[in-house]
Order: sequence, then C-alpha cells, then structure tokens
Amino acid sequence: MKPATRTRRFVAFLAERLPAEKMSLQAMVQKKEVPVHRWSWAYYLGGLALFFFVIQIVTGLMMLFYYEPSVATAHASVEHLTNNVPGGALIRNLHAWSSSAMILSVMLHLLTTFAMKAFGRPRELTWVSGVLLLFLVFGFGFTGYLLPWHQIAVNATKVGLGSIEQFGEYLPGDLADLPRQIRETIQGGATVGQATLSRFYAIHVVVLPLISLGLLGFHLLSVQLHGMSPGVDRPTGRTEKFFPLFILKDLKVWGVVFLMLAVVAICIPFDAFLDYPLGAPYNPLGSTPDGIKPEWYFFWMYYPLELLPFWLVAGGMGVLQVGLLLVPRIFRGTSRKVLRTLAAAAAVYLIVITLFGQAIYEMFSGGH
Amino acid sequence: MDAFLYVGLPYLSLTILVVGTIVRFRQAPFSVSSLSSQVLERKKLALGTVPWHLGILVLLAGHLVAFLVPDIWRSLTANHAFLLTVEVIGFAAAAMAAFGLGTLVYRRLVTARLQAVTNRMDLVVLGLLLVQVLVGISVALSARWGAQWSAGTTSPYLWSLLTFQPDLTYVADLPPSVRLHLGLAWLTFALIPFTRLIHGFSIPLGYLVRAPQQVIWATRRRLARDTARAGGVSPETSRRHFVKGLGGLFAAGVLMSVGVLDKLVGYFKGQRLERSEQVDLLEKKLERLRATSEEQALELERLEKDAILVAQLGQLDPRQGRYFIDYQMRPALAFKGADQLPILISAKCTHLGCTVASDVNDKGQILCPCHISYFDIKTGAPNPGAPAKAPLPRIGWLLKDTKGTVVMTQDGAGNRTWPEGEDAIAPDALDGLQVWIAKRFEEGA
Amino acid sequence: MRARLATISLTLALLPLAGPAHAHPEFEKAIEARSGRTIDCAFCHAHPDGPEGVHAGQIGALSPADMQALNRARTAFEPGTEVDSPILNDFGDHLVTALGKKRLVALRQAPLKMVDELGDSDLDGDGISDAQEMLDGTHPLMRHHGAPWSLFVVNLQRSWFEIVMLIIATFFGVYGISHLLRWFGHEARGALGGEEDPKDG
Repeated sequence: MKPATRTRRFVAFLAERLPAEKMSLQAMVQKKEVPVHRWSWAYYLGGLALFFFVIQIVTGLMMLFYYEPSVATAHASVEHLTNNVPGGALIRNLHAWSSSAMILSVMLHLLTTFAMKAFGRPRELTWVSGVLLLFLVFGFGFTGYLLPWHQIAVNATKVGLGSIEQFGEYLPGDLADLPRQIRETIQGGATVGQATLSRFYAIHVVVLPLISLGLLGFHLLSVQLHGMSPGVDRPTGRTEKFFPLFILKDLKVWGVVFLMLAVVAICIPFDAFLDYPLGAPYNPLGSTPDGIKPEWYFFWMYYPLELLPFWLVAGGMGVLQVGLLLVPRIFRGTSRKVLRTLAAAAAVYLIVITLFGQAIYEMFSGGH
Repeated sequence: MDAFLYVGLPYLSLTILVVGTIVRFRQAPFSVSSLSSQVLERKKLALGTVPWHLGILVLLAGHLVAFLVPDIWRSLTANHAFLLTVEVIGFAAAAMAAFGLGTLVYRRLVTARLQAVTNRMDLVVLGLLLVQVLVGISVALSARWGAQWSAGTTSPYLWSLLTFQPDLTYVADLPPSVRLHLGLAWLTFALIPFTRLIHGFSIPLGYLVRAPQQVIWATRRRLARDTARAGGVSPETSRRHFVKGLGGLFAAGVLMSVGVLDKLVGYFKGQRLERSEQVDLLEKKLERLRATSEEQALELERLEKDAILVAQLGQLDPRQGRYFIDYQMRPALAFKGADQLPILISAKCTHLGCTVASDVNDKGQILCPCHISYFDIKTGAPNPGAPAKAPLPRIGWLLKDTKGTVVMTQDGAGNRTWPEGEDAIAPDALDGLQVWIAKRFEEGA
Repeated sequence: MRARLATISLTLALLPLAGPAHAHPEFEKAIEARSGRTIDCAFCHAHPDGPEGVHAGQIGALSPADMQALNRARTAFEPGTEVDSPILNDFGDHLVTALGKKRLVALRQAPLKMVDELGDSDLDGDGISDAQEMLDGTHPLMRHHGAPWSLFVVNLQRSWFEIVMLIIATFFGVYGISHLLRWFGHEARGALGGEEDPKDG
C-alpha cells in the first residue's frame, strides 16, 4: 500500500468517527433520538457513572480543604475531618460510597455496552475511550485508597505494588531487576513512605482528574455525534427525543439515585465494614494486622492472584486489557446473541467472585 | 389605643366579616366572585395572579399552622434545619406574593381596558394587601426567626381572643412593625365582605385540585381550534403540566439548596472545639509527629553510623522476636538461637512486603499474616507451597562486650569470626554482651 | 532504656497483688470467635499491642505520676471506683469502674459473660450499647464504628428529619420532571398538528 493511500484511509477513518458536519448543537442535541426497547434502561448507566463522577469531584474538592498529605498528619487530618468537622463524616462517606457506586455503574455500563454491541462501527473510538476511562477509574480507586494512611491502606498498597515486582521471576538475566526498579520509581523509595503518599496524592487529585476530564469530553462528544446505538437486532422503531425527554428522565434517575446514596451515606459509615485495627494509623515499625484486602472492586483479580500461579493471572490480565481495547475489532462480526451470553458469563463471574471470593479462597487454601 | 386596636378592632372586624359575609351570600350570592378580568387582559394577569396566589396561600398556611398548633410548631422549629427550611420557603413565598401583587397593581393602573371595571375599593384592597405583604417581609427581616417566636407571642394572643379572654400582654412589647402587621390584618378582615376578597370563601381547597378551567366565553372557538391542533389536548392542560413541573422543580430546588447550604456552611465554618477536644487532637497530632521524627532519627542514624545497637543478648528470647529496623529501614526481627547466640532476620516478607509477625510457633517458624507464609527463623526459608518463594534474608551481627570491643561477628551468610579469639567469650557472660548490626554486612543484602 | 527497664522491674516488685501486667488475650479471643472480626488490645488498652512496652500508653513510658494512677487503677478491686489508668482507654477504665478488678479477673474464665454485667452503657454514643459492640467486635469508643445494619437503623432514626426532607425534595423533583415530560409531550404533539394519537407520553 502506498503511503498516500494509507494516509487517505486514515483520514477517512477519522472523518467517519468524528464527522465534522455533525458538530453542531442542532445535530448533537436537538436531533438526537434515543431508541426505545427492552434494553433501554442500559442507556442510563453511562449517565449514572457521570453523575457519580461529579459527586466525586465535588466531595473530593471539599475534602482537600482539610486533608494534609504527609505521613505524620494524614491520618490525624482524616480523623479530624470525620470526628470534628460538621458534616465531614458525611462528605467522606459520600465520597467512599459514591466511588463504589461509580465503579459498579461503570462495570455495568461496560457489560451492557458490550452485550448491545454498541462498539460497532462507527463507535469504535467511543468504546476505546470508555475502556481507558475504566482503567482510570481503577487507578482512582487504587491511589485514593492510600490517602487515609491507615494500616489497611498502606499495607494493601504495598501488596498491590509488590505484585509488580513478581514479574521479575519471569524475566531473564539483568531484566529480572527491572520490575523492582519500576516499583521503586512508582513508590519513590525503597518502601512505601512519604514519597509514595505525595505521588499518589498528586496522581489522585490532579493527574487522573485532568486526564479523565479530557477522555470524558471525547467520550461524551462521540456519544453525541453518533447518537445511541440501536442496541438490539430488531429495533422497535420507537424512539424518544434526547433533548429534552431523555435528559429529563436522566435527571429523574439521578434524583432518585442521589436520594439512595445520601441515605446510605448518612446512615452507614463506610469504615464500619472494616475491622478497627485496620483503620489505625499506619505503624511502619509494627507487624501487619490480619485481614489486609483490597476494596471489593479489585476482588475479581485479587482472589485469582491468591489462588492461581502468578504468571497465569498476570498473563490473563494482560490479555484482558488488550482484549478490551480491541473488542471493536475482535467482535466485529459477532452476533448480539453471542455477545449477550459472553457478557452474562462475565457478570456471573464478577458477582460470584465479589460475593463469595473469600469463601472460595478459604475452601482452596485450607482454612486460611 | 392598644385596647382598641388589638381587642376592639379584632372583635369588630370579625363581627363585620361574619355578618357581612352572611348578608352578602344571602342577598347577592352570584356576586361572590373575584370578578375575573381575564377577558380584558391576559398576559400580565397570568404573570401576577399565579405567583400571588401561590405565595399568599403558602404564607397563610404557615401563619395558620403556627396559630393552630403552636406547641408542635415550637418543637419542630427547634430543629435548626427545619427552621431554616421554613424561613426560606416563607421568604420565597413572600417574594412571589409581593412580585405578583405588584404586577397586579401595575396592571390595574396602566391597562386602559381595566380602568372601566376598576372601582376605588379594588385599589384600596390591592394597596392594603401590598402594604401588608411588605410589612410582613420587613417583620421577617427585622425580627429574625419569626417562625419560632410567633409560637410564643402572637399565637397565644390569638388564642386569648378566640377564647374571649383577651390578653394584651403578649402583643404589648412586640416591635411596631409586628403590631402594624396585626392591625392591618384586622382591617383587611373587616373589608372582606365588601370587596372581591370575598372570593376567598367561594373557592376553598377545591381550587387546588379542581379540573383546569378558565373564562372562555369569548374564546371558545379559538380554544376549540387550539385543542384540535394540539391533538385533542387543550393548551390549558399543557400549561398546567408546565406550571406543575416548574413548581415541583422549584420546591425541590429550594429544599435541596437549603439542605446543601446548611451542610456547606457548617463544613467550611468548621467547629469551635472544646478545650478537652482540642487537647486530645493536639496530643494525637504530637504523638504522630513524634513517631515520624523517631522514624527519621532512625534513618539518619543508619546513614551516619557504621554499627547500631539492637539489644542486649540477654533481652532476646527464643520464642518471641524483637523488632528492630535494619540498614535499609525495613523491619527485622532478633531472636536468641538454641546456641545462645543471636538470630537476626529480615521481617519484610519476600512475597509482597508485609511485616512478618514476631511469635515463633512450635516448628520454629514465624508467620506472615498477609498471605500465610511460614518462615523458618534459622534459615529464613519459607514453608513448601507458601506464596513466598525466596527466604527471608539473614542479617549479620556483631557482639560487643561492655568495653565496646567486638568479640564475635557473623555475616548474612552465616560466616563467623572471633576477632579476640574464641576463648574471649565466657559462656556465662554471654547475656551481658550487646548485639549490633553493622553497615558492612548490609551492603550486599 | 535502662532506666525504663528499671522502672518496670520496680513496678512489678512493688505490685505483687496486681499480678502480671499483660493484656487479657482471653477476652480478645472470645470476642474474635463470637464476632468473626479481628480486634486488638486497643479495644480496652491505650496501646494496640497491650500494656507491655515502651511506647506511649505502655508501662515502659509512664511518668511517676502515671505510675501512681496505674497503682490506683490496679487496686480498684470492687466496682464503683472511678479510675483513670494510663494504660487503659476509656472503655478499659469503664470496665474497671463498672465491674471491679476482682470480677474482671474472674471473668477471664467466661469472657462473654461480661456482656450481661455491663448494663446498657454506650460510651461513644453511636446508639449501640458497649455490650453489643463487644459481641459485634466493633470498637466501643469509635462513633463511626459499629455493625453496619445496627448503625443504619440507629442513624435512620437520628437523621429522620434530613432524610424526610430529602425524600420530600426528591418527590417534588420527580413530580416536577414528570409533569415537564408530559408538557413536552403535549407540545410535541401540538407541533405535529395533532396527527398522532393523543396518548400520554
């Protein structure tokens, strides 16, 4: 293929994905129609994730007013916020519950989008940006978990970063030391300490939000450009206007969801699920308390890591990540029926491992 | 004067109200109406009458509740958030009423077609109501939290009138604006039977839920046309949905903003801590700072010194490890071995870096709680099948006598030397020796 | 270091009555077995690793004045003595005051029987009694720590006003949006000139 042809093809590809002629308020908002069918509820999930993201930004900004990112004061400042600042416990709780809710809705969004084959041409880039956003969301969870600087936070971070080092076993010769160097670069020192806290803080509060705002902008733009995907094989032919009907319905869902979120955040402190020694300030000179575990949304890869050989799980993760990015290409010709089955299987796996992971782990590892 | 204004006038005006209303209903029942002028002018009427009626109904309801159930009301308004909500709703309603009424007055004054049907009494009533609303707002602004204090002042006064035991003490000390508001209220009551205010009796609560209706005799044909054009739905139904929609969103917005503002203000204002709380907080912070500075002192010590004291050999125990920090600032454990000599071993799990526990089990092993690896303290080797594959590194040590002379060393690989000769160590003096770690043993570790 | 060790041995020598100064692992084990949660010495003690040691809240770090307070606490054999032990937290002090040292030591044989003798005190004011928090393995001095469901029920009652207001606000919002949706439906049909069937949308 001649370079000129290649360039032309590339431009044509981009032009189809980002049609400039549709970049008007009229085309993107007024003319957009949302299909009505049995799966229409799935069209709300992305908006829901966006709503939780907004809550995260607002509550996160508010906590910045009280949080002190140093190993000496981080835990005390969080404790002060929770115990002494009026409404502080509520804000922190909202942040914690809403982060879980955001990850839940993002996961559901991914599964339903997959099942409805909403990644098909010309929506490939929408899917890819969505998958990148998914990675970012997990990055948010991992970096934010460290900030309270309590026992479980620091130790879970150690475990998480430690798994990078395990790659060393499978690398030959001088390369074997590379993972350790990468890990120490990430944590900024030989152990998880002040440098790590500063880095994770910067990443959680500035870097990730900036990147995700950019990606989110692109994601939403392309959703509006191409409209909602039909989602089913035989469209019912019925649609409703995106603006104002669907937006208003979105708002209604957000209102009800906010009510539920607020009630839960007012009534159940997120930390109540933790054994209290895990919430004690991190003590670098003491022993690690029992029960170090990541947040529930990492269970799907944590328990396999505990039970299966490392290379298998690490390889699986790699394949999964690349696979997710390449979904639009791999499943180009797959029917929605098959996709739906695959999504259902993934959902079953996620539910089982998240709810019963500990029991399964104890079963296979003999009592521990 | 007070006696007339707040005892005589009330009874007088209430009598006029009752008698006048009965007379009017009997003599001219069809005049009980607001004499709608929708026919003559529509736009400003809608702009004025809707906010006015919404606002005044909310306000009247508020006044009525405080009057009817003062005790319940007082306990409710003791809740700060509730009080705030009620006051905000009150102010919003008052603003709506004032705006609506202002529009209606303006309309009466400037619309030529209306001049014909406007009599002097209409203007008096409109003016009186407008003044009354404005005075009410000024009361609410100058004497804050009227929702709260009214339960203890005006409510008992009204009850005293109602039970024919008028008691002026409740109102005697109130600010002039409140007394003016009360006086105007009695005057307004007296005017009801003679003006269009009488329509308040003809459309009680049913108005709120009745089917939409409007004065249509002049526009029936046009309405039919509009309805047909709208697919069988009258424009009025549509508009009603619109008004209800906006009203709902407005109410939700008011409630949400009151709640959110209440929380926001508290959050950013922070709390004035009591002394004991402040003491606790500072003590805690100081304790953490101290721990951090201790840690950094350890780090400095490791950078500066070639050897660091771990413990006296006599303090070490075969079953219970003693934590110390090695040259790489990682936790490590010291035990006493079976040969009475120290065993120093890293406590940083080789699996994922958790800190290994210090209790030795019956097999001479210590446990990493994170992923359940057992390590032999003598060799550092993990149990077969443990998540950890590499052994815990052993740490070299020096033994010094009380004079500071090194009498024995062991490096990380277990090679021992006796700089003073093997005989320099008396077995019974072993417990008095000091265990040190040395920089030179850690370089390669 | 040496001075501290000397203090410890001196204390032990002076207090033959008080017995060995270790924490009570019987209670810890019983609570963990009952609740399925992990706890540590900080349930009753000032330091999570218990009273032995040289850190703040441990015997090795006590000042002479603290030592006197400790002695007073250790001789509180009968219930009803107000104590402020430097190695115990408020819950530990409360236990000594409520039960007396003698009874506490006796209870080591049947640790969970303590729950029946504790009454309905609630030191952290989270609405779950200290006795129940013992059974749940949640900390009796942390306001935000408790069995999630119990906290939910308690806080639902405590914050009823906010929650009712939230529900009302949400109701208004949903009501408003529903009517706006119907309004838009009418307007849309109006724009179409009544060609569609007049079904509410």
